[in-house]
Amino acid sequence: MRRLLIGFIALVVLIVLLCVATLCFGAVNIPFSSVVQALFSPGADVSSNILWNLRIPRMIAAILAGASLAVSGLSLQTVFRNPLAGPFVLGISSGASLGVALALLAGIGFGSVGVLGSAALGALLVTLVVMFAATRFAQTGVLLIVGLLTGYFIDSIVSVLIAGNSSESLRVYVAWGMGSFGRVTLGDVWIFVVAVLVGLVMIGVSLRYLNAALLGDDFAHGLGLNVKRSKICVLLGASLLAGATTAFCGPVAFIGIAVPHLAYLLFKTTNHRVLLPGAALCGVALALLGGLFPASVPLNAVLSLVGVPVILWVLVRGSGARL
Amino acid sequence: MTNAESQNVLLECKDLLVGYGEALPSVQIAFDFSLASGNVVALMGENGCGKSSLLKTFAGLLSPVAGEVSLEGKLLVEWSPRERAQEISLVRMSSAVPPRMSVCEFVRLGRSPYSGIFDSRTDEDNRIVEESMALLDVANFANRPIAELSDGERSRVFLAEAVAQQVKILLLDEPNAFLDIPRSHALFRLLKKIAVERQMGIVVSTHSVEYAERYCDRIMVVNGGAVRVAPAADARKTGLLNWTENYGHE
Repeated sequence: MRRLLIGFIALVVLIVLLCVATLCFGAVNIPFSSVVQALFSPGADVSSNILWNLRIPRMIAAILAGASLAVSGLSLQTVFRNPLAGPFVLGISSGASLGVALALLAGIGFGSVGVLGSAALGALLVTLVVMFAATRFAQTGVLLIVGLLTGYFIDSIVSVLIAGNSSESLRVYVAWGMGSFGRVTLGDVWIFVVAVLVGLVMIGVSLRYLNAALLGDDFAHGLGLNVKRSKICVLLGASLLAGATTAFCGPVAFIGIAVPHLAYLLFKTTNHRVLLPGAALCGVALALLGGLFPASVPLNAVLSLVGVPVILWVLVRGSGARL
Repeated sequence: MTNAESQNVLLECKDLLVGYGEALPSVQIAFDFSLASGNVVALMGENGCGKSSLLKTFAGLLSPVAGEVSLEGKLLVEWSPRERAQEISLVRMSSAVPPRMSVCEFVRLGRSPYSGIFDSRTDEDNRIVEESMALLDVANFANRPIAELSDGERSRVFLAEAVAQQVKILLLDEPNAFLDIPRSHALFRLLKKIAVERQMGIVVSTHSVEYAERYCDRIMVVNGGAVRVAPAADARKTGLLNWTENYGHE
């Protein structure tokens, strides 16, 4: 119990510090006192402007993306009983990319909502393919192959779209593909919030299933769970989280697959009552940390450069090398 | 066996046909069977004869091809999955265990059929988990990962989970498949003990005639698509076990 308490308090403190840093530092550094002033009595000055139009949306985007990807990755790893599963491996992020590519490059879509909608649709489409495979094949290995192949297939479609495209929309797409928390605005962030909340609720109400699913669907069935319904609920929730994040922030790699392992190493439990919020907080901390780097450095590069060595070090050093 | 009045019929089967699909059921001749509290029944038969499908049918995880199974007087299909999970547990020793899960976390899963939407545990749940771990003598390695246990320890952990589930009917699929001789004896003694103490009905599939005759009240044999049941003491007299020695002689 003490481990849990310390872990959660440490994470919350870290996240608060990172939030303050996100608001204070950037191309222009704003002193903490001005941040506080601009937060509680926003004026027309430059600080308020930067804070409310750039940094607060970016902070919210990082928090939502970090929590979403971590929770999505953890639930996918549990449902597929595979430590390598994640929104990327299963092709869900690629699906969202296809949606965005179609909207931006092929011109199918309607403004910014069109990009979001098509990203969500793309993510959902791949999830349906994976779910169809999930009902047909019992082995989770097959599912991973289906997901990976679907991902490759979609990447090829995107390549074809890129090949025949003008430089301007291509530039937008490539920039989107780098991943960034800086594209969300206060005007459309509420869509992101709602999508993430719905996704989190769908996974949250499936806690009993997630805990039992670690031992396989037969076992969960034996514990009186409606396996089919719960599985669909979790998969839809996970794809909603990954799809929404990909739509708003681009394909953000690494958090989905790595953070669940980090959360396990921190909390040393397989109980999703602890692990889900734990992974969400770890994801938020990592995303905020990645977002602190200058905007000119691609987010995905930062996350992998910082995150991969850390997690490899922890895995190799700790007794948690067991997957 | 004690007198019949003190026993309650827990599970009752009528005209049961069992298997995957109607074309070729593994049990082709309809049979009746009833399981009373305090009873241990050994389930025997050659590999692939349908022992596992029979256990799954008893557990309500596989629909009967024909006939009906009722639990405490109510048809099994009419029980909600959660209520059913509070009454019956099918323990499969071959279940792949997640590498990170500890013994205690696994046994706690046994309280899942009683928990709310957020899968929390009450003090009462925790007490039952502790008690089950003590009964199966697994409490001293409660925090070790199940994946690191020996086969004997692991089978006790699987049993502890089912005990924590507080079921009345325990179905075990070859619990001694991976156990050495002393541990198999210990396991069967334990099964008889918990059946009597907790008034549970137990069906245990095994390949060992010795354990079946020595520790079980009745023996149930699936052979050639038919199911026959006899008291363990009469099994040899009635020719129930002849199939065990006939292989290759026919």
